[in-house]
Amino acid sequence: MRIKRIVAVVIRHLYIWPRSPERFMWTFGWPFFGLLIWGLTISFLQNNSSSNFSFITMIIGGIVFWEIIVQPQREISINFIDEMWNKNILNLFASPLTKAEYLTALVIIGIIKMFITVISLTIGSIVLYKFNIFASFGLHIPILFINLIIFGITLGLFVNSLILRFGISVQEIAWAIVAIVQPFSCVLYPLSSLPVWVQRISVVLPPTYVFEEMRRILFSNKIEINNLIFAFLLNLLYLVLTIWFFSVMFEKAREHGRLVKLN
Amino acid sequence: MAILQVKNLTKKFGPPAGGFTAVDNISFDLKEGEILGLLGPNGAGKTTTIDILLGLTKPTTGKVEMFGLPFEANREKILKQMNFSAAYVNLPWRLKVWENLYTFGRLYEVEDYKEKIEILIKEFQLFDLRNKLTDSLSSGQLTRLYLCKAFVNNPRLLLLDEPTAFLDPDISDLVRKYILNKVKTEKTSVLFTSHNMAEVTEICDRVIFLNKGKIVAEDTPVGLTKRIKFCKVRLFFDLNLGKAELLLKNYKYNFSSVEKEILVDIEEEKVGQLLGRLSLAKLKYSQITIEKPTLEHFFLEVIRNKNEN
Repeated sequence: MRIKRIVAVVIRHLYIWPRSPERFMWTFGWPFFGLLIWGLTISFLQNNSSSNFSFITMIIGGIVFWEIIVQPQREISINFIDEMWNKNILNLFASPLTKAEYLTALVIIGIIKMFITVISLTIGSIVLYKFNIFASFGLHIPILFINLIIFGITLGLFVNSLILRFGISVQEIAWAIVAIVQPFSCVLYPLSSLPVWVQRISVVLPPTYVFEEMRRILFSNKIEINNLIFAFLLNLLYLVLTIWFFSVMFEKAREHGRLVKLN
Repeated sequence: MAILQVKNLTKKFGPPAGGFTAVDNISFDLKEGEILGLLGPNGAGKTTTIDILLGLTKPTTGKVEMFGLPFEANREKILKQMNFSAAYVNLPWRLKVWENLYTFGRLYEVEDYKEKIEILIKEFQLFDLRNKLTDSLSSGQLTRLYLCKAFVNNPRLLLLDEPTAFLDPDISDLVRKYILNKVKTEKTSVLFTSHNMAEVTEICDRVIFLNKGKIVAEDTPVGLTKRIKFCKVRLFFDLNLGKAELLLKNYKYNFSSVEKEILVDIEEEKVGQLLGRLSLAKLKYSQITIEKPTLEHFFLEVIRNKNEN
């Protein structure tokens, strides 16, 4: 792995960021609108409810944490697709850049954008709702974040593998995959509230454990670390399988001449 | 020394039964400082061959060695020393000219890439455009930018697929001179495809002609043109055009006529005989042009044979 080549790809994507309004919207705009709409709705419901239960922290926490999955996934997939839109994919893979270096660069960009989004949402939730996720989750932040980041990376690589297999025609999945996974991940509601058949899917998704523990911390200031360790192991398993899948799909794309057709 | 060696290269797509053979057991080499033209009609296997040489497509069978090293096992080491430019590959259009070139300077780990790029963009007359977005460039300017990218790492081996496709004649000339100078001064080896046969004749030392995935001819451009036995004799008659036509008809020459001009397709060695017959018949022409076969004629003949088969 050559750092210089990884940096080259990272900088290439950072160059276009300031002149891409849609990317600004993905990083700042849409997440902030989500925070605003959901936050205001829940605030209204909370103010008109006799319950002492703090819905707002649960929902805002869910929204901010969900972006930790969305941003790496989207950056990894969209930046890969962007090379095809630009007819630049062959330039990259005909250079000394390796698959591992390229994926590492995409992951770094995803993590950079994720932190920018999370920090901006944190500022927004402090200003609008007086809720600070860093203060609320304190030392538990790293293990919660790591689990969500790895899952986001896994989804991004999975989408890229599908594109290598089925071509640019399946690019829509780069936007849709998080929406498909979200209902099963217990982002805004507890696992126990779901129908049994949905629960069976949810328990094999690492984010479920993260969001369950997020709520446990908010409501009882306790954490079941074993659940997060289990989520971490699941995440590692999925990540390794997805990297293997990507690698196989990449080589198959070379074998069947699909890589050049992506251009 | 052979910079590139291709041995028994075959690429099949699709299932073993009913599949399609894009490249069919080809072997060739490219020496240091040599410009090798890869020619052929559409679907001949040129681009698939280039894709394999760049590591973008895996061969079905066969061996590719560059700089004396097997490609698959030494991909990074080899690709660092080569580069390419193709008409069907672009650069990110929302990046500025210098941003694109810096990206590839870093990707190829060029030591002094900023200085190197400054020299390149001056040589390719892009210096004033360095701060422009790539999508604002004309097609000719884009082609020059792609060529800058192709030379950014001072490659020992350069693959150029239609490098002058969208260039004005003067810029095409500049590019050809640039390539020839690189070959002369730095012993760069070039694999070159173009549909401009005059250009291929001008710059290639040797030409490989592909058809249906197979090498059908390999020679110098002049050597290939010598394989065409026919030439065209253009005769202008101020008088006696009808008599001349009658004579050509009697001797069963293949000809066509427009106004005062007769165009005869004839074997080069029989031109003397034709002129003798005209002289004996006292048919005087006011002007004569003999068009010798060019690489384009060879190209057309191969395509014609392809269509007939």
